[in-house]
Amino acid sequence: MKYYLEWPEPDPTNLPPPAQDIEPWGETRVVGKPLPRVDAYERVSGTALYTLDMALPDMLHGAILRCPHAHARVTRLDTGRAQAMPGVRAVITAATPGAAIPWYFRGQGPTSMLFDEHCRYAGDEVAAVAAETPHQAILAARAIDVEYEVLPFVQDDAVALTPEAPAIHEGGNILGQETSGRGDVEAGFAGADVVLEQTYHTPCEIHTPMETFVTIARWDGNRLTVWDSNQGVFGIQANLARALRLPLTSVRVICNYMGGGFGSKLGLSKYTVIAALLARTTARPVKIALTREESFICVGNRAANTIKLKAGVKRDGTLTALDAVFLGSGGAYPAGATSTYLVQALYLCPNVRVEDNEVYTNAGPSRAFRAPGMPNCAWALEQMMDALATEIDMDPVEFRLKNIATFLQINDTPYTSIGLRECLSDGAKAFGWSEARARPRGRGHVRRGVGMAAGMWAYPGDPRATVIVKLFADGSVNLNMGASDIGTGTKTVMAMVVAEELGVPLDRIQIEHADTGTTQNAPSSGGSQTVLVSAPAVRAAAIEVKRQLLELAAAQLERPVEQLVFQDGEIMPADAPDQAVALADLRGLRGRQVIVGVGRRHPHPEGKIALPFAAQFAEVEVNILTGEVRVLRLVAAHDSGRVMNKLTYENQVFGGMAMGIGLGLTEERILDSRQTGKVVNANWHDYKIPTAKDVPIDQTCVPIDPHDTECNTTGAKGLGEPAHIPTAAAIANAVYHATGVRVTDAPITRGRMLSALAERRGE
Amino acid sequence: MLPNFTYERPGSVDEALEHGSSEGAVLHAGGTDLLGCLRDGVFSAKKVVSLSGLEELRGISPTRDGGLRVGALTTLTGVASDPTIAERYTVLAQAAASAASPQLRNQGTIGGNICQRPRCWYFRGDWHCLRKGGDTCYAIAGENHFHCIFGGSGCYIVHPSDTAPALQALGASVRIASRSGSRTVPIESFFLLPADDIQRENLLEPGELVTEVLLPPVASGTRSVYRKVRDRGAWDFALAGLAAVVTMPGDSVETASLVLSGVAPKPWRAAEAEGALTGARLDAETIARVVAASVAGALPLEHNGYKVALVRGLMEETLRALA
Repeated sequence: MKYYLEWPEPDPTNLPPPAQDIEPWGETRVVGKPLPRVDAYERVSGTALYTLDMALPDMLHGAILRCPHAHARVTRLDTGRAQAMPGVRAVITAATPGAAIPWYFRGQGPTSMLFDEHCRYAGDEVAAVAAETPHQAILAARAIDVEYEVLPFVQDDAVALTPEAPAIHEGGNILGQETSGRGDVEAGFAGADVVLEQTYHTPCEIHTPMETFVTIARWDGNRLTVWDSNQGVFGIQANLARALRLPLTSVRVICNYMGGGFGSKLGLSKYTVIAALLARTTARPVKIALTREESFICVGNRAANTIKLKAGVKRDGTLTALDAVFLGSGGAYPAGATSTYLVQALYLCPNVRVEDNEVYTNAGPSRAFRAPGMPNCAWALEQMMDALATEIDMDPVEFRLKNIATFLQINDTPYTSIGLRECLSDGAKAFGWSEARARPRGRGHVRRGVGMAAGMWAYPGDPRATVIVKLFADGSVNLNMGASDIGTGTKTVMAMVVAEELGVPLDRIQIEHADTGTTQNAPSSGGSQTVLVSAPAVRAAAIEVKRQLLELAAAQLERPVEQLVFQDGEIMPADAPDQAVALADLRGLRGRQVIVGVGRRHPHPEGKIALPFAAQFAEVEVNILTGEVRVLRLVAAHDSGRVMNKLTYENQVFGGMAMGIGLGLTEERILDSRQTGKVVNANWHDYKIPTAKDVPIDQTCVPIDPHDTECNTTGAKGLGEPAHIPTAAAIANAVYHATGVRVTDAPITRGRMLSALAERRGE
Repeated sequence: MLPNFTYERPGSVDEALEHGSSEGAVLHAGGTDLLGCLRDGVFSAKKVVSLSGLEELRGISPTRDGGLRVGALTTLTGVASDPTIAERYTVLAQAAASAASPQLRNQGTIGGNICQRPRCWYFRGDWHCLRKGGDTCYAIAGENHFHCIFGGSGCYIVHPSDTAPALQALGASVRIASRSGSRTVPIESFFLLPADDIQRENLLEPGELVTEVLLPPVASGTRSVYRKVRDRGAWDFALAGLAAVVTMPGDSVETASLVLSGVAPKPWRAAEAEGALTGARLDAETIARVVAASVAGALPLEHNGYKVALVRGLMEETLRALA
């Protein structure tokens, strides 16, 4: 099933043609270096102002009343008591004029209303309050009297598919069922020497970014300004304008510093619209900051998946067939649950069938979460590959090397480049794979093992981005771009692109970004697309500035442009470097005071697709008496094209792997499914993200650069998501290598490990 | 969201007891547990009485009988880093060091650690459970992965403290002050099971205050260890833990104290295991008998059966290390 994109899919036929003919970079002088972030001081010193830190004069605080039942209908709602409470300035409900706003999920729908009397999970929005203090707002929200008709609920994905299950939407609980593939899987299995079948399960995970979910809305007449912690101001602006029926010019969305999202802040959330409505009602700015607990309940998750996978292989390591049945629930609304992509695309296989079942359950809606569906799919596919390798007595790396696809089998499209072979072989070398694989695993109660897994990412990016670079009279630069920096180092990388082209030091580049009022359209920071979409646009804008500067210099030096060289912030005739003119000494620049360059991202290459690839390696220690699994070291080899900044590159990889340790070992949302249907572990203690003690110090990043000159003008292919895809599966394979026990349900908690060990002993 | 309350910061124990006796008063030591409970509405308070001005409740000093007095307001970091405790009461230093996170150990106190409320997510969340005065224990039919396998009845919490089982294994006692005087109670009888009182984890009456923890002298040759298993490396409570204090002058075990954490509503003495170990040579055969005895009487719930294997594993690993 096509996975949920919360930004519009580009129409490639309507993309503007490339404005300039820009050559790919060869060797770079700035790009690629391990440079610290341009905003590092602000971030670590606490002076960076995040939305959560902000307060406006005269600002009110909002709170949202949420349905406490997993499935219910609001039968009566009385705001009288709440309205009369101290400090309360507005109470809004479904009945408030202007609040009857239809709500869309994943561009589908409308499937519900902003405040829907039919509440489909414990956490659905029922009403909201604005008051002078957060305390008053919360007390007033609790004082809204609501009577519910409590309905039977369903949270088990398989049960939700049955006809007896309570219907969550009119038309039942089946959101989507789709079968796709190629070849003839039965013939493929018939031709296999070994056929294995296994069911895998991955948990529902919560994004839980450090900065919670927060909006401040302010109206100036009919114009709305929203400061909002999100991953893409233009997507939020478009959806907010649609919800409020306003032109784009009347909605300004700003997000400067941003404290994490991992996908959960890609789309417009109800609290943002609610803040805007409360601000309009009260004629004062309104801030809504969700609590940490709310961030576990109602702003997205990675859907749990059940994946039944059958695979056939010949003794020589040739894959003959893959047959997979996926079941997942994005919760109570059409929000996305599974990705079958890796099964269809990662390995060369002539016969593939995937059946995808997506179902509604009475639980919080999912949202894109770092490589949506992919680490789940890797958990199944890469454990299966490991098991097949064992069965045919072939090394897991060698087995994968034998099955590399050189083109995208889903639509027979060639890749612009594919470094998967090098990811596997160079990664294995850096890890010391063969030696580690051969080492004794230990006879005592602490066993060691190594495992690996591969992966790829699926989205080539939305190539629509426009960037402006301004060069001022003193040679300093303003970089004006729409892209968000969600903590990944976007600002730093883009400034390095400007520095590469214009020779301006980073500290003389001022960055203005992620503000729909002052910057130009760029896709959201999701889908690993930020660098590969916006960096070429930045490069084009800088080159346009350079072109204009060269023209000014040509007039001053009385030389044709073709004879001039631009280097280190100076322009000189190629044959007479002693005549170099500093930018600040260009008379034409002094006359204009500013040079403005507009750059656009070029379209994707025709008939080819640019995607990143990865292989990761893990060494673990398993205590078979206590079930403790410790990750000792990790090696990540990534073909994400050019390394733009070695430091931020490593940050991405290490962060993605830390998150993968969470999927592999610790993280899992738990619902009280048989009683109340509420989340029992909606906090940072009971929902266990890994700590520094769970992440090994020994992590190595091995960048693979296939020198892709076709993907875009920077050669970078995107890294954020692939860094997270193989980790959990690599750990599970290492656990198997250490113990001989395959744990198919993630995460491998101490309890699951002990139960699996006991099962093998026949207890 | 914190409820409204009044705040007092008395300068003496007597004054603290006075304030602490008023209706709806709660005592605030490190506050790492209390403030979370108030914020989450687990219970309420009309008055918060800060103990931070009571200097006499801080610090570690020798007692006349050769033991140690640990003031109730001594932080967990203070307990973990005290050289005497680390050397002679290793199990306690290790238990204190294993609790929570560095920040929480810098703030949390030994008195607060043994008096903290359970972490059962139904108790902590917005379920009106038995322990909060409701009529249902949601853990019985619900999500009971982290609940008890020993000592449950009606309610199936586990006691969350790491230091309590270590103190119990060491034979410590607590000194309790109230307006009517003070009393010393062996820690063994300080804690209550749900069968004793379904709403309290210890025998403190309203207005009572733990002022100090008393450690008896240790016999020379005593070896002690605290081993804790949790789902992640830090800031996590025990799935199960073992506080073991053993004296073994020759080849045989003379005395053995084995107290488990994370498996019962109070620190759980593995009495049958102690019996199997006392007087025996610490060989493979003994270890097997002790391991088997350690889970005698365990009654796992639907999702916590792994704790039986875990207790066995902990016992085996710990005894092998001592052998």
